[in-house]
Amino acid sequence: MTENETASSIRGDRDLANAQDIIVCEGVSKWFGDFQALNNVSATIKEQEVVVVLGPSGSGKSTWIRCINRLEQHQEGRIMVDGVELSNDLRNIEKVRSEVGMVFQMFNLFPHLTVRDNISLAPIWVRKKPRAEAEEQASSLLERVGIPEQADKFPGQLSGGQQQRVAIARALAMEPKIMLFDEPTSALDPEMIKEVLDVMKELALSGMTMMVVTHEMGFAKEVADKIMFMEGGQIVEIGTPEHFFTNPTEERTKLFLSQIL
Amino acid sequence: MNLKKSSSPNQIKTASSIEPPNSQLPPKVAALSPTEWLKANLFSNTFNSILTILSTAAILLIIRGLLSFIFNPLRQWSATATNMRLLMTQAYPEHQYARIWVSLGFLLFLTGVSLAFWRAARSVLVSQVGKRLLAIGAFILLVTLLAPFSDRATIIWLAIGVFIAGTGFLLKSAQEDKTISSMTLLSGTFLLAILSLWVIPYGHHSYISTRTPKILAEPGTVAMTTKLPWTIMLAVTICSYFLGSLIRDKIDESKGKALLSMTWLISPLFLLFLVLRDPDFDTGHLFSTDIPIFLFFSIVGSLLLLWLTNPDIGEKGRVISTAVLFVGFATFLFQMLMIVRILTLVLAFFALAAPTFSGQKPARIRYTKVWIGTMVILCWLITAINTPSTAKVPGDFFIGGFAITLMIFFFTMVLAFPLGVLLALARTSKFPIFRMVSTTFIEFIRGVPLITILIFFSVMVPLFLPDGMDLTEIAAVTIAFIIFEAAYLAENVRGGLQSVTRGQHEAAEAVGMTNAQKTFFIVLPQALRVAIPPMVGQIIATFKETGLLAIIGIFDFLYIARSVIPGQTEYMGSTRENLLFVSLVYLVICFAMSKASQRVEKRVGLGER
Repeated sequence: MTENETASSIRGDRDLANAQDIIVCEGVSKWFGDFQALNNVSATIKEQEVVVVLGPSGSGKSTWIRCINRLEQHQEGRIMVDGVELSNDLRNIEKVRSEVGMVFQMFNLFPHLTVRDNISLAPIWVRKKPRAEAEEQASSLLERVGIPEQADKFPGQLSGGQQQRVAIARALAMEPKIMLFDEPTSALDPEMIKEVLDVMKELALSGMTMMVVTHEMGFAKEVADKIMFMEGGQIVEIGTPEHFFTNPTEERTKLFLSQIL
Repeated sequence: MNLKKSSSPNQIKTASSIEPPNSQLPPKVAALSPTEWLKANLFSNTFNSILTILSTAAILLIIRGLLSFIFNPLRQWSATATNMRLLMTQAYPEHQYARIWVSLGFLLFLTGVSLAFWRAARSVLVSQVGKRLLAIGAFILLVTLLAPFSDRATIIWLAIGVFIAGTGFLLKSAQEDKTISSMTLLSGTFLLAILSLWVIPYGHHSYISTRTPKILAEPGTVAMTTKLPWTIMLAVTICSYFLGSLIRDKIDESKGKALLSMTWLISPLFLLFLVLRDPDFDTGHLFSTDIPIFLFFSIVGSLLLLWLTNPDIGEKGRVISTAVLFVGFATFLFQMLMIVRILTLVLAFFALAAPTFSGQKPARIRYTKVWIGTMVILCWLITAINTPSTAKVPGDFFIGGFAITLMIFFFTMVLAFPLGVLLALARTSKFPIFRMVSTTFIEFIRGVPLITILIFFSVMVPLFLPDGMDLTEIAAVTIAFIIFEAAYLAENVRGGLQSVTRGQHEAAEAVGMTNAQKTFFIVLPQALRVAIPPMVGQIIATFKETGLLAIIGIFDFLYIARSVIPGQTEYMGSTRENLLFVSLVYLVICFAMSKASQRVEKRVGLGER
């Protein structure tokens, strides 16, 4: 059985039609000064769904994904994450953030802490887990992302791919319901991209709800349930990978695909 | 033309020493011979040759001038030697002097153990030591030839210089991989220095403070009251180093280091208020008031904090801790003991911080233990300060001289550091009121000369105090130093805070950390590491700025050297000798601090890359 078959069979098991909405955006708009970064974005993402957001640079993909755990604040519209509306109420934000894991383009590991402490810090102080349990969990997560032997090193001693896998483990340690990936492979050398994508695929197969901003078309084709194409702060087209890559309806999508493929 | 000729043999040498291409090592560059080195570095062209000659002449002239100042028969060096105790501790009572030695011994004991725990020993190449000795020997020879010595002294010093240089020359050609521990070298040097106290007739100087003070200055080895304690001090240091290396391998090293750091922070207070000050505790008051207050706060506080660190407590906890804070402020409106007010405020602070450190049972118990530990130190310190001292000395404080310089420096650093961090955090905070208060404070303090602040605090502040509140001049001046240094440290820390990237903030926020947790676990550790070099500069500056105490008439190191000793009838006009000695002490300590900080910088950089 090849990996692809496994993927499709597990994906087949998931009953996405009856799944509940976990992220709901209604008319979300955001400005940076006079520049409108998001223009009336509305979309829903269901539990266990893997959504890949594509689009040219400056199209608002990263801004949108950062609005979902409120690293950026939207100025109009509503964002509901797991039934909690994002507003200025501080407690809501912390609650949402501990349910939503995020992986950054530049990894953003804590350079003064070992890999193990990077992963176990938040579970200990935010989830209030006993230290021993959190460290055990860190070890098993490192096993899962394939670098159990690096636990006592500092981030600066790891390669880019390894650092990004640690960052994924750090986000997973909070046992989130949703994982956000903001261009996780863009800062990596080509030979390291695959090791990170493999971890992300494994995560998708395990039924994690994922929202991924990326330029990796192969990953989008293979793993995504749904592709959203953005341009100029708007969602231009939403569809399955088959639809998107073979038979797009919008003119701008066709132009984008012709430039990258 | 000439240059080209001389460089060609070099190239051939380099080319011939290139290893075969399959080797993993880089090719060795042949070392230059001394003449080649001179040519390449000092006389590479006409202009450089002129510069070399001129600056050598200038350096020689300066050394000659300094030497003829130092060895002029008119110099009264016995003024410094005789008044060494005055310089170090001012007029600490003679019959109590053992207390000073005990304190110094304890600090040296801590130093020894710490050197072992932080693995300060390095292995030094013996050939490198040889080179160093050769240079020292050559320098002594040079100095001897330049100095206006008598014939006999010249011969003795020439012999010493030749001996050292000769030893160095022999060691220089030692095997290449032969090394020696830097600790062995260091203790060997000190051992020689202290042995020489017993053997070489430096002269017997002492200041006998009877009813009519008598100055003793006669030939012979130094006084027994000097050489014996110093020998014991050296023994204590070396033994504690070995003890430290033994313990280090037996116990958890990081715990040992934490314990040592705590001891370093607390022991100066302990030594100052319990050993040096010799306080006259009032047992009745102790049992009727101090101990009950301590017990009340530790028990009630522990229960409160155990409850507040429960993660499920929610809003109720915040309301209660805010209430404690208000009670803390309210205590200032009523007549009550100062200790109660302080402890209530500290409790409120712990209560407000409780949600940040909440967790399962072990975490809650650990937090409570920190509270009880803080209580022990605070209660004991406040009681000790309020108890009168039995050490009766002239002036308004029981120590002076170098000891008070060190004491004010220590208090300034220990208290200015947290205050500076708080100010820096406030200045970068999102709350406008914090930002405004902190910015105003920092800019105001930085805009006023330190000496103005010192004079203000020593003269004006005692006048403004409400009735019944009393501040000694030393305490007022220490507070002045603290706020001044805190303002500068705050700017250094702020630089560090700004160097923490936005990505780090976002990563911490993305895993759901609260603002306090983000600051405490992610931002501050990185910011402080960046701020180490400027902060060390500030610390060294602070140490030197303590010299300003002399201007406002506190009996510090500099004041005694400048005004007290030249005032003695025997030593009229010995100011310059004493000032030279004082500057040498400042120089040695500041140099040691900056060397130590360079090593710290290297160590903390370890994790990065």
